[in-house]
Amino acid sequence: MNHIALTIIGRDHPGIVARVTEILYRVGCNIADSSCSILGGQFAMILIISHPEYTDRESFGDAFDPLEKEGMSVFLRTLQPGGEAAPELAGEICLISVYGSDKPGIVYPVARELGNRRINITDLNTKLVGSAERPVYVMMIEAVLPPGMDLQEIAAIMADLQQKLQVDISVRDITPVEF
Amino acid sequence: MAVRDIHIYPDPVLKQASETIDSFNQATDELVQDLIDTMVAAGHSVGVAAPQIGVNRRVAVVDVSQSKQGRENNHGLLIMINPEILERSGAKAIREGCMSVPDYTGNVTRAEEILVQFFDRRGMPRVIRATGFEAIAIQHEIDHLDGFLFLDRVSSLKTDIFRRKKH
Repeated sequence: MNHIALTIIGRDHPGIVARVTEILYRVGCNIADSSCSILGGQFAMILIISHPEYTDRESFGDAFDPLEKEGMSVFLRTLQPGGEAAPELAGEICLISVYGSDKPGIVYPVARELGNRRINITDLNTKLVGSAERPVYVMMIEAVLPPGMDLQEIAAIMADLQQKLQVDISVRDITPVEF
Repeated sequence: MAVRDIHIYPDPVLKQASETIDSFNQATDELVQDLIDTMVAAGHSVGVAAPQIGVNRRVAVVDVSQSKQGRENNHGLLIMINPEILERSGAKAIREGCMSVPDYTGNVTRAEEILVQFFDRRGMPRVIRATGFEAIAIQHEIDHLDGFLFLDRVSSLKTDIFRRKKH
């Protein structure tokens, strides 16, 4: 099986998922992992798909043309063998909430602190909320700590950052419980 | 007196409602012991329900006393035969996983406090009020006895803070 990352984005309206998955079904693609969400007024789809023969965009021929005619953007990226397998992440999982009055330079300083410490961001959402006069920026980060690092350590780092950036930050453990 | 294999979905035993225990005999006692042994062997997981070891009987064991989340507030080892939740209140969301559904977790909202009735290992009726993590563990295990998995209870995808609230 060849694995391909497929990204589709376009103005949101009901029926997009049906249109896309009908095409994939008809050409014989399997959908493995996928994540789709509304960002602004756009619907963004990211899917890892596989096909017994297709290896790249050429293989699909004009299959995606109808979507592009409707104004959707379609991108394909062929994965290296093994690129579809999720890595084993061993450490504690935490959720970091960062929010405050909107201003430039919130995401990067937080991401830099995490990256420098080998903390792996596994999910990140940001959203601009509040009123036009008082916009508020909200960022939610799900991250896996490197083995051996505990929550206190990252909480202390974020407390420092909260002072520097003048935003509110909180950290909590969301390591899943297996029953 | 045996550690049993955990049955993994799509084993149909996990999606069936279990039968009530009507006599407290040696077979029941052995089932209880197998559940305890299996729970302890699984890195002291916090609970196991009979369907997870392939038996559709209404028996589950719960023990959150060894876990970080339940250490402070628990009833120790609970052997629950024919358990029934009489009252529920409050709501608490945690991310759950299940030994019978490997490699997947989801945010599940359950009652924060429950009043639960059951028979213990000797067949004596008990009623306890459980709160917090222990209450969640009990609800997860009782769900197994009704053929529900946490997948049937997932309440939100990732961080639901961005979702519109219902007023």
